[in-house]
Amino acid sequence: MNITPLSLLLLFFSLYSIGERLIRFIHKEQGQSTFKMMATIFIWGGISYVAFFKLGSEDNLNTYIFIGFIIVFFILFRLLSILEKNERLLTEIIRKEALKDLK
Amino acid sequence: MKLANNSVLILLPVFNESKVIFSVIRSIQKEGWKKILVVDDGSTDNTYDKVKKTGAIILRHIINRGKGAAVKTGLEAAKKMGSEIVVTLDSDGQHNPKDIKKMVKQIKKGSDVVLGIRDFRKRNIPRYKVFVNYLGNILTWMFYGLWVSDSQSGFRVYNKKALSLIQTNNDRYEFETEIVREIVRNNLKWTEKTIDVRYSDYDQNKINKQSFVSAIKTIIKLALFG
Repeated sequence: MNITPLSLLLLFFSLYSIGERLIRFIHKEQGQSTFKMMATIFIWGGISYVAFFKLGSEDNLNTYIFIGFIIVFFILFRLLSILEKNERLLTEIIRKEALKDLK
Repeated sequence: MKLANNSVLILLPVFNESKVIFSVIRSIQKEGWKKILVVDDGSTDNTYDKVKKTGAIILRHIINRGKGAAVKTGLEAAKKMGSEIVVTLDSDGQHNPKDIKKMVKQIKKGSDVVLGIRDFRKRNIPRYKVFVNYLGNILTWMFYGLWVSDSQSGFRVYNKKALSLIQTNNDRYEFETEIVREIVRNNLKWTEKTIDVRYSDYDQNKINKQSFVSAIKTIIKLALFG
Protein backbone atom coordinates (compact mmCIF):
# COMPACT_ATOMS: atom_id res chain seq x y z
CA MET A 1 0.00 0.00 0.00
CA ASN A 2 1.40 3.37 -1.06
CA ILE A 3 0.10 6.43 0.72
CA THR A 4 1.07 9.43 -1.36
CA PRO A 5 -0.49 12.89 -1.89
CA LEU A 6 -1.80 11.61 -5.26
CA SER A 7 -3.44 8.50 -3.81
CA LEU A 8 -5.05 10.57 -1.03
CA LEU A 9 -6.34 13.08 -3.59
CA LEU A 10 -7.84 10.28 -5.70
CA LEU A 11 -9.38 8.73 -2.59
CA PHE A 12 -10.98 12.08 -1.75
CA PHE A 13 -12.42 12.39 -5.27
CA SER A 14 -13.63 8.79 -5.17
CA LEU A 15 -15.40 9.18 -1.85
CA TYR A 16 -16.95 12.46 -3.00
CA SER A 17 -18.25 10.91 -6.25
CA ILE A 18 -19.58 7.76 -4.59
CA GLY A 19 -21.15 9.80 -1.77
CA GLU A 20 -22.84 12.21 -4.15
CA ARG A 21 -24.26 9.35 -6.23
CA LEU A 22 -25.41 7.54 -3.07
CA ILE A 23 -27.33 10.57 -1.80
CA ARG A 24 -29.04 11.00 -5.18
CA PHE A 25 -29.83 7.27 -5.26
CA ILE A 26 -31.29 7.27 -1.73
CA HIS A 27 -33.45 10.30 -2.56
CA LYS A 28 -34.71 8.39 -5.65
CA GLU A 29 -33.82 11.31 -7.89
CA GLN A 30 -34.81 11.03 -11.52
CA GLY A 31 -32.30 9.12 -13.62
CA GLN A 32 -30.79 7.21 -10.70
CA SER A 33 -30.68 3.43 -10.78
CA THR A 34 -29.08 0.51 -8.97
CA PHE A 35 -26.98 -0.13 -12.07
CA LYS A 36 -25.59 3.43 -12.04
CA MET A 37 -24.90 3.20 -8.31
CA MET A 38 -23.00 -0.06 -8.79
CA ALA A 39 -21.11 1.32 -11.81
CA THR A 40 -20.02 4.40 -9.82
CA ILE A 41 -18.76 2.27 -6.94
CA PHE A 42 -16.97 -0.05 -9.37
CA ILE A 43 -15.24 2.74 -11.33
CA TRP A 44 -14.24 4.93 -8.38
CA GLY A 45 -13.42 1.97 -6.18
CA GLY A 46 -11.17 0.68 -8.96
CA ILE A 47 -9.42 4.04 -9.27
CA SER A 48 -8.78 4.17 -5.51
CA TYR A 49 -7.52 0.58 -5.52
CA VAL A 50 -5.05 1.27 -8.33
CA ALA A 51 -3.93 4.51 -6.65
CA PHE A 52 -3.18 2.78 -3.35
CA PHE A 53 -2.00 -0.67 -4.35
CA LYS A 54 -0.71 -0.58 -7.92
CA LEU A 55 1.02 2.76 -8.39
CA GLY A 56 4.56 3.24 -7.11
CA SER A 57 5.38 5.98 -4.65
CA GLU A 58 8.05 7.39 -6.95
CA ASP A 59 7.38 9.27 -10.17
CA ASN A 60 7.10 6.71 -12.94
CA LEU A 61 5.49 6.37 -16.34
CA ASN A 62 2.59 4.25 -15.03
CA THR A 63 1.51 7.05 -12.71
CA TYR A 64 1.41 9.59 -15.53
CA ILE A 65 -0.49 7.20 -17.82
CA PHE A 66 -2.97 6.50 -15.04
CA ILE A 67 -3.56 10.20 -14.34
CA GLY A 68 -3.86 10.86 -18.07
CA PHE A 69 -6.44 8.10 -18.39
CA ILE A 70 -8.55 9.58 -15.59
CA ILE A 71 -8.38 13.09 -17.08
CA VAL A 72 -9.43 11.82 -20.54
CA PHE A 73 -12.26 9.81 -18.96
CA PHE A 74 -13.49 12.91 -17.13
CA ILE A 75 -13.33 15.19 -20.18
CA LEU A 76 -15.13 12.64 -22.36
CA PHE A 77 -17.89 12.10 -19.83
CA ARG A 78 -18.28 15.86 -19.32
CA LEU A 79 -18.52 16.48 -23.07
CA LEU A 80 -21.09 13.72 -23.49
CA SER A 81 -23.12 15.18 -20.61
CA ILE A 82 -23.07 18.66 -22.16
CA LEU A 83 -24.06 17.24 -25.54
CA GLU A 84 -26.92 15.27 -23.99
CA LYS A 85 -28.12 18.34 -22.06
CA ASN A 86 -28.12 20.44 -25.24
CA GLU A 87 -30.05 17.73 -27.11
CA ARG A 88 -32.71 17.77 -24.41
CA LEU A 89 -32.94 21.57 -24.45
CA LEU A 90 -33.36 21.53 -28.22
CA THR A 91 -36.17 19.00 -27.90
CA GLU A 92 -37.87 21.18 -25.27
CA ILE A 93 -37.79 24.21 -27.60
CA ILE A 94 -39.22 22.15 -30.47
CA ARG A 95 -41.90 20.72 -28.16
CA LYS A 96 -42.97 24.20 -27.04
CA GLU A 97 -43.25 25.26 -30.67
CA ALA A 98 -45.32 22.18 -31.52
CA LEU A 99 -47.68 22.70 -28.58
CA LYS A 100 -48.39 26.26 -29.71
CA ASP A 101 -50.51 24.71 -32.48
CA LEU A 102 -52.83 23.16 -29.89
CA LYS A 103 -56.01 25.19 -29.67
CA MET B 1 -69.28 3.29 -19.01
CA LYS B 2 -69.06 3.73 -22.76
CA LEU B 3 -65.53 3.07 -23.94
CA ALA B 4 -65.28 4.98 -27.19
CA ASN B 5 -65.79 8.41 -25.72
CA ASN B 6 -63.98 11.70 -25.78
CA SER B 7 -62.05 11.02 -22.60
CA VAL B 8 -59.84 8.52 -24.45
CA LEU B 9 -57.13 9.99 -26.63
CA ILE B 10 -55.30 7.85 -29.17
CA LEU B 11 -51.74 9.09 -29.60
CA LEU B 12 -49.67 8.27 -32.66
CA PRO B 13 -46.04 9.43 -32.95
CA VAL B 14 -45.18 9.44 -36.64
CA PHE B 15 -42.10 9.90 -38.81
CA ASN B 16 -42.15 9.44 -42.58
CA GLU B 17 -45.12 7.07 -42.70
CA SER B 18 -46.97 8.62 -45.63
CA LYS B 19 -47.53 5.20 -47.24
CA VAL B 20 -49.56 3.81 -44.36
CA ILE B 21 -50.62 6.59 -41.97
CA PHE B 22 -53.95 7.30 -43.69
CA SER B 23 -55.10 3.68 -43.48
CA VAL B 24 -53.78 3.33 -39.91
CA ILE B 25 -55.85 6.31 -38.72
CA ARG B 26 -58.90 5.17 -40.66
CA SER B 27 -58.69 1.70 -39.07
CA ILE B 28 -58.63 3.30 -35.60
CA GLN B 29 -61.58 5.53 -36.46
CA LYS B 30 -63.51 2.49 -37.72
CA GLU B 31 -63.23 0.99 -34.24
CA GLY B 32 -65.06 4.01 -32.86
CA TRP B 33 -62.14 6.02 -31.51
CA LYS B 34 -62.64 9.56 -32.71
CA LYS B 35 -60.17 11.55 -30.65
CA ILE B 36 -56.84 10.92 -32.34
CA LEU B 37 -53.71 12.99 -31.85
CA VAL B 38 -50.80 12.58 -34.25
CA VAL B 39 -47.37 14.03 -33.48
CA ASP B 40 -45.44 14.40 -36.71
CA ASP B 41 -41.80 14.13 -35.70
CA GLY B 42 -40.29 16.20 -38.51
CA SER B 43 -41.38 14.02 -41.43
CA THR B 44 -39.80 14.90 -44.75
CA ASP B 45 -42.46 13.18 -46.88
CA ASN B 46 -46.15 14.17 -47.09
CA THR B 47 -47.20 12.44 -43.86
CA TYR B 48 -48.51 15.76 -42.49
CA ASP B 49 -50.89 16.28 -45.43
CA LYS B 50 -52.11 12.68 -45.26
CA VAL B 51 -52.94 13.07 -41.55
CA LYS B 52 -54.76 16.37 -42.19
CA LYS B 53 -57.15 14.56 -44.55
CA THR B 54 -58.27 12.19 -41.79
CA GLY B 55 -59.53 14.91 -39.45
CA ALA B 56 -57.15 13.85 -36.67
CA ILE B 57 -55.47 16.51 -34.53
CA ILE B 58 -51.87 16.99 -35.63
CA LEU B 59 -48.87 18.60 -33.95
CA ARG B 60 -45.58 19.00 -35.70
CA HIS B 61 -41.94 18.92 -34.63
CA ILE B 62 -40.01 21.13 -37.03
CA ILE B 63 -37.10 18.66 -37.02
CA ASN B 64 -36.88 14.98 -36.11
CA ARG B 65 -36.26 14.42 -32.40
CA GLY B 66 -37.10 10.75 -32.00
CA LYS B 67 -40.03 8.59 -30.98
CA GLY B 68 -39.66 9.29 -27.26
CA ALA B 69 -39.72 13.04 -27.85
CA ALA B 70 -42.82 12.75 -30.04
CA VAL B 71 -44.68 10.63 -27.48
CA LYS B 72 -43.77 13.08 -24.72
CA THR B 73 -45.09 15.99 -26.80
CA GLY B 74 -48.29 13.98 -27.26
CA LEU B 75 -48.58 13.27 -23.54
CA GLU B 76 -48.07 16.97 -22.73
CA ALA B 77 -50.79 17.83 -25.25
CA ALA B 78 -53.08 15.22 -23.69
CA LYS B 79 -52.66 16.89 -20.31
CA LYS B 80 -53.56 20.25 -21.81
CA MET B 81 -56.60 18.73 -23.48
CA GLY B 82 -57.76 17.21 -20.18
CA SER B 83 -57.72 13.63 -21.46
CA GLU B 84 -58.60 10.97 -18.89
CA ILE B 85 -56.96 8.07 -20.74
CA VAL B 86 -54.21 8.07 -23.37
CA VAL B 87 -53.44 5.14 -25.66
CA THR B 88 -50.11 5.16 -27.51
CA LEU B 89 -49.77 3.10 -30.69
CA ASP B 90 -47.07 2.72 -33.33
CA SER B 91 -48.00 4.47 -36.55
CA ASP B 92 -46.75 1.84 -38.99
CA GLY B 93 -49.84 -0.32 -38.61
CA GLN B 94 -48.20 -3.14 -36.65
CA HIS B 95 -50.70 -2.76 -33.79
CA ASN B 96 -54.30 -3.87 -34.11
CA PRO B 97 -56.82 -1.13 -33.15
CA LYS B 98 -59.22 -3.89 -32.06
CA ASP B 99 -56.96 -4.37 -29.01
CA ILE B 100 -57.49 -0.81 -27.75
CA LYS B 101 -60.81 -1.69 -26.13
CA LYS B 102 -59.41 -4.47 -23.92
CA MET B 103 -56.40 -2.31 -22.96
CA VAL B 104 -58.64 0.59 -21.91
CA LYS B 105 -60.79 -1.84 -19.91
CA GLN B 106 -57.76 -2.60 -17.72
CA ILE B 107 -57.49 1.10 -16.85
CA LYS B 108 -61.14 1.15 -15.91
CA LYS B 109 -60.46 -1.85 -13.65
CA GLY B 110 -57.97 0.25 -11.67
CA SER B 111 -54.58 0.10 -13.39
CA ASP B 112 -52.62 3.31 -13.89
CA VAL B 113 -50.57 1.95 -16.79
CA VAL B 114 -51.27 -0.95 -19.14
CA LEU B 115 -48.37 -2.38 -21.14
CA GLY B 116 -49.19 -4.17 -24.36
CA ILE B 117 -47.12 -7.32 -24.71
CA ARG B 118 -46.40 -9.20 -27.90
CA ASP B 119 -46.83 -12.95 -27.93
CA PHE B 120 -43.27 -13.94 -28.83
CA ARG B 121 -44.21 -17.58 -29.39
CA LYS B 122 -45.92 -16.54 -32.59
CA ARG B 123 -43.93 -17.23 -35.73
CA ASN B 124 -44.76 -13.91 -37.44
CA ILE B 125 -42.45 -12.01 -35.08
CA PRO B 126 -38.88 -11.79 -36.46
CA ARG B 127 -36.42 -13.73 -34.28
CA TYR B 128 -34.04 -10.78 -33.91
CA LYS B 129 -36.90 -8.76 -32.37
CA VAL B 130 -37.47 -11.54 -29.85
CA PHE B 131 -33.77 -11.47 -28.94
CA VAL B 132 -33.53 -7.65 -28.72
CA ASN B 133 -36.66 -7.53 -26.60
CA TYR B 134 -35.40 -10.20 -24.21
CA LEU B 135 -32.12 -8.31 -23.86
CA GLY B 136 -34.13 -5.14 -23.22
CA ASN B 137 -36.20 -6.91 -20.55
CA ILE B 138 -33.09 -8.10 -18.73
CA LEU B 139 -31.48 -4.65 -18.80
CA THR B 140 -34.71 -2.97 -17.73
CA TRP B 141 -34.81 -5.34 -14.75
CA MET B 142 -31.13 -4.61 -14.01
CA PHE B 143 -31.63 -0.85 -14.21
CA TYR B 144 -34.97 -0.53 -12.42
CA GLY B 145 -35.67 -3.83 -10.68
CA LEU B 146 -38.97 -4.52 -12.45
CA TRP B 147 -39.50 -7.46 -14.77
CA VAL B 148 -41.82 -6.73 -17.68
CA SER B 149 -42.58 -9.13 -20.51
CA ASP B 150 -42.18 -6.58 -23.31
CA SER B 151 -40.08 -3.58 -22.35
CA GLN B 152 -39.98 -2.23 -25.91
CA SER B 153 -43.66 -2.32 -26.85
CA GLY B 154 -45.10 0.99 -28.07
CA PHE B 155 -48.70 -0.02 -27.36
CA ARG B 156 -49.45 1.36 -23.90
CA VAL B 157 -52.29 3.00 -22.01
CA TYR B 158 -52.04 5.63 -19.26
CA ASN B 159 -54.64 7.10 -16.94
CA LYS B 160 -54.71 10.71 -15.72
CA LYS B 161 -52.72 9.91 -12.57
CA ALA B 162 -49.94 8.29 -14.59
CA LEU B 163 -49.95 11.21 -17.03
CA SER B 164 -49.42 13.70 -14.23
CA LEU B 165 -46.64 11.70 -12.54
CA ILE B 166 -44.58 10.31 -15.40
CA GLN B 167 -41.51 12.41 -16.27
CA THR B 168 -39.23 11.30 -19.07
CA ASN B 169 -36.08 12.82 -20.56
CA ASN B 170 -34.95 10.56 -23.35
CA ASP B 171 -35.89 11.35 -26.91
CA ARG B 172 -35.45 8.08 -28.71
CA TYR B 173 -36.25 4.44 -28.05
CA GLU B 174 -34.93 4.71 -24.45
CA PHE B 175 -38.31 6.26 -23.75
CA GLU B 176 -40.04 2.86 -23.60
CA THR B 177 -37.66 1.72 -20.85
CA GLU B 178 -37.97 5.05 -19.02
CA ILE B 179 -41.69 4.44 -18.64
CA VAL B 180 -40.88 1.29 -16.66
CA ARG B 181 -38.57 3.37 -14.44
CA GLU B 182 -41.38 5.86 -13.85
CA ILE B 183 -43.79 3.07 -12.94
CA VAL B 184 -41.33 1.98 -10.24
CA ARG B 185 -40.43 5.51 -9.10
CA ASN B 186 -44.06 6.59 -8.73
CA ASN B 187 -45.31 3.23 -7.47
CA LEU B 188 -47.96 3.11 -10.20
CA LYS B 189 -50.37 0.20 -10.56
CA TRP B 190 -49.54 -1.56 -13.80
CA THR B 191 -50.68 -4.56 -15.73
CA GLU B 192 -49.83 -6.34 -18.97
CA LYS B 193 -52.16 -7.39 -21.75
CA THR B 194 -51.31 -9.54 -24.74
CA ILE B 195 -51.67 -7.71 -28.04
CA ASP B 196 -51.74 -8.73 -31.65
CA VAL B 197 -48.89 -7.56 -33.89
CA ARG B 198 -48.71 -7.63 -37.66
CA TYR B 199 -45.25 -7.35 -39.18
CA SER B 200 -45.41 -6.55 -42.89
CA ASP B 201 -42.70 -6.21 -45.55
CA TYR B 202 -43.21 -2.46 -45.26
CA ASP B 203 -42.44 -2.51 -41.55
CA GLN B 204 -39.39 -4.74 -41.94
CA ASN B 205 -37.87 -2.63 -44.69
CA LYS B 206 -38.22 0.73 -42.95
CA ILE B 207 -35.03 2.77 -42.56
CA ASN B 208 -36.02 4.22 -39.20
CA LYS B 209 -36.98 0.96 -37.50
CA GLN B 210 -35.46 -0.05 -34.17
CA SER B 211 -32.32 -2.08 -34.87
CA PHE B 212 -29.78 -4.01 -32.83
CA VAL B 213 -27.36 -1.05 -33.09
CA SER B 214 -30.00 1.35 -31.80
CA ALA B 215 -30.65 -1.07 -28.93
CA ILE B 216 -26.97 -0.91 -27.95
CA LYS B 217 -27.04 2.90 -28.11
CA THR B 218 -30.14 2.83 -25.92
CA ILE B 219 -28.33 0.74 -23.30
CA ILE B 220 -25.30 3.07 -23.23
CA LYS B 221 -27.44 6.20 -22.95
CA LEU B 222 -29.53 4.75 -20.15
CA ALA B 223 -26.42 3.64 -18.28
CA LEU B 224 -24.71 7.03 -18.59
CA PHE B 225 -27.53 9.53 -18.41
CA GLY B 226 -30.60 7.70 -17.10
